[in-house]
Amino acid sequence: MQTALQLLLTTLQIGAVYILFSLGLTLIFGIMRVVNFVHGHFFALSALLVSVFMPPVISAGFSVPLAYVLAGSAAIAGSLALALAVYKFGLSYFQRDMEGAFIFTMGMAILLDGVFLWLFGGSVRPVPQIITGNTSILGASVSVQRLALCLIAALVTVLLYWALGATKLGKALRAVAADHEAAMLQGIPYNRIALTGFLLAAFLAAFAGVLIAPVSVVSPVMGTDYLMKTFVAIIVGGLGSVRGAIVGALFVGSIEAVGGYYADASTATIAVFVLVILVLLIRPKGLLGHA
Amino acid sequence: MRDLHVPWWLAGATVAIAITLSFKGAYAASLMNLVAIAALIAASMRFVLLIGELSFATSAFVGLGAYGAGIATALFDWPFPVALILGPLAVIVVSALFGYVTLRIKGPYFMLIGFAFTEAVRISFTKVNAIGGVTGLPGIFPPQFLDSWMPTFVALVVIGLLFGLYAVEKSDFGKTLVAIRDNEDIARTVGVDVLAFKVACFVIASFCAGVAGSLQAFVNNVISPSDFGFLVASFALAYVKIGGESSIFGAITGAIFLSLLGSYALGFGAGEHFIYGGAMVLAMLLMPKGFIGLFATLRARYSRPAKATPLAAKPVAAQ
Repeated sequence: MQTALQLLLTTLQIGAVYILFSLGLTLIFGIMRVVNFVHGHFFALSALLVSVFMPPVISAGFSVPLAYVLAGSAAIAGSLALALAVYKFGLSYFQRDMEGAFIFTMGMAILLDGVFLWLFGGSVRPVPQIITGNTSILGASVSVQRLALCLIAALVTVLLYWALGATKLGKALRAVAADHEAAMLQGIPYNRIALTGFLLAAFLAAFAGVLIAPVSVVSPVMGTDYLMKTFVAIIVGGLGSVRGAIVGALFVGSIEAVGGYYADASTATIAVFVLVILVLLIRPKGLLGHA
Repeated sequence: MRDLHVPWWLAGATVAIAITLSFKGAYAASLMNLVAIAALIAASMRFVLLIGELSFATSAFVGLGAYGAGIATALFDWPFPVALILGPLAVIVVSALFGYVTLRIKGPYFMLIGFAFTEAVRISFTKVNAIGGVTGLPGIFPPQFLDSWMPTFVALVVIGLLFGLYAVEKSDFGKTLVAIRDNEDIARTVGVDVLAFKVACFVIASFCAGVAGSLQAFVNNVISPSDFGFLVASFALAYVKIGGESSIFGAITGAIFLSLLGSYALGFGAGEHFIYGGAMVLAMLLMPKGFIGLFATLRARYSRPAKATPLAAKPVAAQ
């Protein structure tokens, strides 16, 4: 029972970041019908910027949590600027061109790898702990910091889910994802909505980066690993489906947690990839996909 | 008999062989092998694009081909021809099974399932200690008498297979594949067994990828799982896209250009990423139809100067 609870908690911790990440990817796929390979770099950039900004802000006399909020906001702004540049000067030419966008974003990812290595160096960067201490839930131990991460990620997910269902922008995003031509005929400005959706997705990745920075190793190449797993998550859930992205992210998180506990991390990774092949054989469009 | 431009192929092959014979030295040899193998992988990638699918499983098949050669040579010491073909034969079996179950789905799902397959195969290589695990498998040498002729041998095999792919593409079979890409349902209504054609196409392309892997193992003498990540397929797709998708010559041109640029960029250390990534980004933005498209545009512009409509010169936003 205690093991099961511990595994559940680990799943939620891993899954929380995957959820934010995969919501962004699935939004971009839904709206622009492209798979964005630079997504991991939005995530990595914001984590890197947090590690860069925090020490000077702390030494300027701010308390650690306040410094984290300030550095985090600046980091998200930086990531959004990068996302805006990628969209304006490139990706907007490749909407609905899966192969073209794939090559473009992959070239961009390689280029940004070089830029990040040059700017930040290849070494792992430390980020000070924000909240210290552990707590126990029904006997299972968990660090308060990771618990906070989970809760914030869950809050953002709920907020996004509500926004997509209830707000005007959310409805416009869903209309464009369902049929962009019909949406345009209804007077929805496709280009503006696509840009908004892309920036929203980048924001989610950047936010995940800020959340993960204090509990993980921050390095310029950290995005790629998350990106791979998130691809799996959105295939399992169904490309373009918001609920699917959440289910898929938890699916990947649970296999990593269980596999990592009973075997080792690379066996868990193989299990993830084999299971996604099995899922696709049974439900070719993913668990919740209908595109 | 369709015109397969045999004289042109012979001329090209002669030039390629002459180049492999006239440049000696370890660096030149490794460069020529690199280019030839890249061209074969790119052509394999493009062959699956004939049915409109992106095959990321290509990386896995290059890896299987290489490990076939490696296991046969380094572990069992089997003769060279057997070792050379063992991996590609295994690839035929695996790709037929994989294709039979996965080619029922299309588009992004097929692409991503191939991606998952590649990663699963790559990580599986690292888990088997008999084939070297993470560090890889050393000691895959071609026979002594081939040692100094390796680039010529590789070029001959590659050109042979490239011509084979070209001939298949120009045959009725190849035209059926294009018909399936253009409209699968129409092909089905005239009695084409779509799945069988797709699987056949996939197996042919994967076989070529397997041969490329087998050659790569003999050329590099050592293979490791990290050589066969999804980047192999990604680069192959970049070769195809930058060279131009409309013809096999585009894939070959792109492979030659980008792999030479890539090894030139290697000399810059960390700058490699800048040059390689930058070239891909710029090429996609400035010439969306690749070198072949650029060439066609220029020819159209100079042969009909009165009607200058340089439409293909700029990427056009989708709307």
